[in-house]
Amino acid sequence: MKIRFWGVRGSFAMSGRDFLRYGGNTTSVELVTDDGHRLLIDLGTGATELAKALMGAEFGKGAGRLPILLSHTHLDHIQGLPFFTPFFIKGNEIRILGANPISGLSLEATLQNQLAPHYSPLNGLENLAAGVSIETIQAGSTLSLPGFEVVTQAMPHGSMWTTAYRITADGKTVTYLSDVEYPNADEPSAEAVALAQDADLLIHDAMHSDQDYPSRRGWGHSPAHAGVVVAERARAKKLALFHHSPDATDAMIDEVVALTASHTAVPVFAAAEGSYLDV
Amino acid sequence: MQITFWGVRGSYPVPGAATVRYGGQTSCVEVRSAAGASLIVDAGTGMRALGNKLLREGSGPQSYNVLLSHVHWDHIQGLPFFSPAYLAGTKIAIHALLTAADELQGVIGGITRHEFFPVPLEAVPAQFEFHQVEAGVEFDIAGGFHIVPIALNHPFGAIGYRIECDGAAWAYVADTAPFDEVLHKQHFLPGPEPLSSDDKLALGAMREALVRRLQGVDTVVYDTHFTADEYKRFPHYGHSTPDQALEICVEAKVRRLVLYHHAPGHSDEQMDQIAADYLAKGEAVGIEVLTSFEGMTVPIGTAT
Repeated sequence: MKIRFWGVRGSFAMSGRDFLRYGGNTTSVELVTDDGHRLLIDLGTGATELAKALMGAEFGKGAGRLPILLSHTHLDHIQGLPFFTPFFIKGNEIRILGANPISGLSLEATLQNQLAPHYSPLNGLENLAAGVSIETIQAGSTLSLPGFEVVTQAMPHGSMWTTAYRITADGKTVTYLSDVEYPNADEPSAEAVALAQDADLLIHDAMHSDQDYPSRRGWGHSPAHAGVVVAERARAKKLALFHHSPDATDAMIDEVVALTASHTAVPVFAAAEGSYLDV
Repeated sequence: MQITFWGVRGSYPVPGAATVRYGGQTSCVEVRSAAGASLIVDAGTGMRALGNKLLREGSGPQSYNVLLSHVHWDHIQGLPFFSPAYLAGTKIAIHALLTAADELQGVIGGITRHEFFPVPLEAVPAQFEFHQVEAGVEFDIAGGFHIVPIALNHPFGAIGYRIECDGAAWAYVADTAPFDEVLHKQHFLPGPEPLSSDDKLALGAMREALVRRLQGVDTVVYDTHFTADEYKRFPHYGHSTPDQALEICVEAKVRRLVLYHHAPGHSDEQMDQIAADYLAKGEAVGIEVLTSFEGMTVPIGTAT
């Protein structure tokens, strides 16, 4: 299984020189199995870059198939949806899977609201030319997607819940724990540790540096060291710090990685836009 | 009066090495009068950096006026990230065209609904006011600004603004399609629709009113999202080309045209080429053509 980070930024897409090495696009992560099955997690602005690559192949011809897992519907995780060009090609079949937001609105109604005529000229999911299915999942259930086995888990994210994913393919496991804040960052929940158990790669929310975190407690995001605690307890083989703060320049992320890595034996890196990596 | 560009991009923000010089953030322009009064036009993602600057230079909570051309995401997405809104005592008056909804507050508040954003509008410390704008109904804003709203040709409607202050005038014309091939109405357009004779009259009237309102302004900031080739493929997307903007500006006898709302796919190199091409094309017809980039400030000269 290979992985590519198309967007690693939290909250807000950051352009400019200070964000070139790690990248400024909001969250979107692609997984590809050895025999070519593809899965996307989250539809931040990074997804628009992936879209360009996909359109050069079967998605440009209306023969693309893609499941997309949404962690939740905060805008930085869905803002790429109206600009994900495979949606505009008839014949593509795209599944969007996620839990209903806790507000009582369904996932489908939420995405319809994103495309409401005052906000978007698309004026509703029904105007997307591709076949699009919105599939509500119950966090805690397991999913079988072509090429991938997925375990889902609800996690606290400030005033709402996010869905975390444990994804297995080709005998390798990636755990996606973005947009999570545990009641105590030093004592992550047992559910988080279970989801990351023996994972080959743990992708973890690291929105805040450990120094900044005390003044940002309760915002729904983790300090960098929270992912380390999960990785160590779960015996994850590698940790990717993810969902970088929009205020974090490349130099600041370098510092966070160096500091975080100095306190653990787990190999740590900061997720960065770029190339395909072997899991 | 002077204007500063905080976001010049259309559709969605585009980070990365290809947009470092022109900038990747979406529509937001700051206006300053000679006396220092401020006005913000559009609340795209450029508004985040503007807000941070205003907080740094500000002495306590201020009152802000924001003119919105319309409420598509790329023109409102910066609002929840405008840091002065989180300072108690801040006042924010939003002036906007109401499209496809019953009331403005619900539409603006809707972008921070629980499922989209962690802090709902009601919980933001700033005090908000909402004012509906209508084409042709002029109004004044504190600080000596006189505003003339102009109807534009964009899906579900958009409003351009002629903004007068300090004896000078400039205009913000985004987002708009040209006024010949497609008439945007209150429904989704999968492609260009045949025009009825009424549609043609409506387009002609809209164009005529725009040219009249732009008459003699110093500077026009215009939606020039597409190259000519791109426009041919997407004439129903509601955006113009630099040639279409130049044609309007020649008729209205404006002094300067600023290209704006650049397509997200246009790299700095492409923008350099567009900038050079239209500087020359403008010179040929007596109009100074500038290409906007993040951080660019343009002084607005006295109207002639």
